[in-house]
Amino acid sequence: MDERLNQAEEIVKSMEKETELSKVEELIKDNRITFEYEDKKYRVRLLNLAEKEELDMLRRKKFGQLIKDKDIFLEKDLILQYKEKGIDIEKEIDEKIKKINAEEYDLQIRLGESISKNENENIFKNYKNQITQLRLQKQVLNAQRILLLSYSLECALESYTYQVITYLSSEILTEEGWKKMFISLDEFQKYPDEKLIMKLGSYSILLQRI
Amino acid sequence: MNIYSLLRILAKTTKAQNLFIASKEINGIRLFKNTRDLSSIQDFYLTWLYSYDVIMKEVLIDNISKEILNDELYEDSYLLWRKDKKFKEKKLDKEQKNLKLIPGKTIKFPKKVK
Repeated sequence: MDERLNQAEEIVKSMEKETELSKVEELIKDNRITFEYEDKKYRVRLLNLAEKEELDMLRRKKFGQLIKDKDIFLEKDLILQYKEKGIDIEKEIDEKIKKINAEEYDLQIRLGESISKNENENIFKNYKNQITQLRLQKQVLNAQRILLLSYSLECALESYTYQVITYLSSEILTEEGWKKMFISLDEFQKYPDEKLIMKLGSYSILLQRI
Repeated sequence: MNIYSLLRILAKTTKAQNLFIASKEINGIRLFKNTRDLSSIQDFYLTWLYSYDVIMKEVLIDNISKEILNDELYEDSYLLWRKDKKFKEKKLDKEQKNLKLIPGKTIKFPKKVK
């Protein structure tokens, strides 16, 4: 009975995997992603040249505004401020990350070499465990860094860039065909359906190269 | 499972690998609807089609065990080691091929006979 249950679980898992794979396959068929949301069709696509220029212009404008704002600091200045308050990001986080990266690289090369020599799988597993441990440590450090620097100018500009990309690349299917979803960035920012915005945002980020 | 892991799984399927090989050899077989302006995920997928093509060939000629395909970390590490090895070999080859000129020596070319 247990065996039959296990087999059934395996079949379900494999079916789920197949479904997930076919969904992913849809995402790469074209350089645009179409989806349905509350009975309407939406799509996001790669930005064209004119839109890329608009993105650049808006990003430059925003940078100009942010740099004049006395309440927002550049990452390097924020790091200095933290240092004055006893939190040394460069020493306590950046250097540690650098060291972990070097160790991880070294272990990966050794694992690769042992794969090339067809060594015992226990050796692979041993390397894998060591690398996984290092990656976990790095994740914690990266999370700390992101949290500490989340109010930097760079972060604000990045979040703004994602907003502009989503605003520029989102379209809706109407009776006349595909039309831009938002006339302006302001309209995008005031759009009430956050769930749809999140969906459009996550798809458009998958397409663009920033 | 995140989307990038799923894309890697897709890239190593027999169907994807066959299509990839066919698209290289037969004109008219295309991987994507668009022929230019690849999206970021299309680019990622293409990179992994190439990488798995390399790994599959190595597995096929018994250079490495197919167990490598069970773990992303094994695949990454093997490709990293391979790249590192090639880089070191290329560097060594370049060093050996470098002509050593002796300072102070002048080369006298023969004069043209009129």
